[in-house]
Amino acid sequence: MTALAAAPRRATASAAHRLSFAHLLKSEAIKILTLRSTWWSLGVTAALSVGISLLIALATSGMGGSMEPTNVILAPTQFTMLVAGILGAIVVTGEYSTGMIRSTLTAEPRRGAVLLAKAIIVALTMMATTIVIYVAAILLTAPLLSTSIDWATPGDSIVPLALGVVSMACFTLMGVGFGFLLRSGAGAIAVTVGVLFVLPIMLSLFSIAGPDWMWVVEAGKYLPVSAAGSLTRAGASDLVEPALTMAGWVLAPLLLGWIALRSRDA
Amino acid sequence: MIVADNLTKRYGDKTAVDGVSFTVTPGRVTGFLGPNGAGKSTTMRMIVGLDRPTAGRVTVGGQEYRHLRSPLTEVGVLLDAKAIHTGRSARNHLRAMAATHGIGRTRVDEVIELTGIGSVASKRAGGFSLGMGQRLGIAAALLGDPHTLILDEPVNGLDPEGVRWVRQFVRHLAAEGRTVLLSSHLMSEMSQTADHVIVLGRGRVLADAPLPELVRTWTTTTLLVRSPRLDELVTALEIPDATISAVEPGAAQITGITPETVGDIAAARGIPLYELSPRIGSLEDAYLALTDDSVEYKTKEIA
Repeated sequence: MTALAAAPRRATASAAHRLSFAHLLKSEAIKILTLRSTWWSLGVTAALSVGISLLIALATSGMGGSMEPTNVILAPTQFTMLVAGILGAIVVTGEYSTGMIRSTLTAEPRRGAVLLAKAIIVALTMMATTIVIYVAAILLTAPLLSTSIDWATPGDSIVPLALGVVSMACFTLMGVGFGFLLRSGAGAIAVTVGVLFVLPIMLSLFSIAGPDWMWVVEAGKYLPVSAAGSLTRAGASDLVEPALTMAGWVLAPLLLGWIALRSRDA
Repeated sequence: MIVADNLTKRYGDKTAVDGVSFTVTPGRVTGFLGPNGAGKSTTMRMIVGLDRPTAGRVTVGGQEYRHLRSPLTEVGVLLDAKAIHTGRSARNHLRAMAATHGIGRTRVDEVIELTGIGSVASKRAGGFSLGMGQRLGIAAALLGDPHTLILDEPVNGLDPEGVRWVRQFVRHLAAEGRTVLLSSHLMSEMSQTADHVIVLGRGRVLADAPLPELVRTWTTTTLLVRSPRLDELVTALEIPDATISAVEPGAAQITGITPETVGDIAAARGIPLYELSPRIGSLEDAYLALTDDSVEYKTKEIA
């Protein structure tokens, strides 16, 4: 036990210290980067993503490379989206389970600003990580692939990859929204995984049912995973519909989370 | 200055805080007393905007907390020691809190030193003892060098040295003209720390008075009288309001009479007095008398 200072010292001048959104963003950045769970999530995302890309590259190299080269990089999203969603959820629910949210909301009582700052920082973190992952995956798989990415055609190269980065941010933001809405880690993770992973499987099961049930299968096209798939398909022509679908899946949970955050006691 | 006006909080049919009004003025330590469930913490959460009042309002420095443009430099808050992410180190917690107001590392190091948590500052807060968590919470409250401090049970879990430090510290802050509101259920601690006391019971203000006045109003002063001719003295007193109870042979406790009267009567009759000492009631006595009917979780008297 350290001895306490006997007399309190006058603090440095506080006149210059002011709450601002830029300061809030910095605070949220410090918060996310100083938690082990963040680094675990990002590490798992990177290992999964690069690992699966390498496996696909190895498996297809013997078959004359029938797969789109960007797809080799983007295919692992099927799995990494779950980690992204979970990261978004636990960044929020971790504050509720530990009581940190009370410190956060007394430092910035405008709750909408807290949600916005957190969403921006978590999304940026995931985007930066995804860019690093894609670069690593491209460099590592290049020697194994017979056809390399055609950088001269943006629609077959930079556009799907960039939209892949955005999609990962969207999955993370869904987790953030569900986190603020449900507050409990287990609940938010369950809903996030349910929407991203379980719902698509359930809806696709209806394809064995009669034509009366085809609308259920059709509805599956409006799930976030399908939207991300359409967005990141090489040479995709219609990006508006999947982009709107994805935006809806991000904005709805964030909006509900914001309403819950505003109206409920912390 | 904290002003609560008819502050009310209901959870379903349960009223936690019931039309509470009070003013916490700068320059003195105001104590918040009350049994468990009296509404102290709920009131404090409403002051800092974490809970929305069902009715009424409360302002800090004339403004509602959520309208403060720089809350950390206006109000320092310790609501409970566990409002800290367990996975983050103490220093990183303080850095993140400080960053919201652009407060630099120098001040973070200052509050770490001030609260004596330097040796554990780089350890994860999840492994902290209650006392260490409490010190970290106080450090966070001090980051913005605020004009107002709201501390809920700040000495909970602290060692005697820490308890004394908190007492001296809040008294020093009040002497500097700051507003200090702190709650505690440790009566002896409160009686040494607070200048003014607000007692809550079942969500209502039971008393709001300077500490000496509160004790005077709610306790009776007892005289301990010791004399070899006690019976003679008691007969001579003849005061109808006085109650006399024997303590031991040659000694009695008398209430409802001043020591001056007893001394004068004894002198007039030539009765020797070995002891004549007034026993002033304690804050604890006053508190128990006040909250007698409003204790929600009552224990049975041990027979």
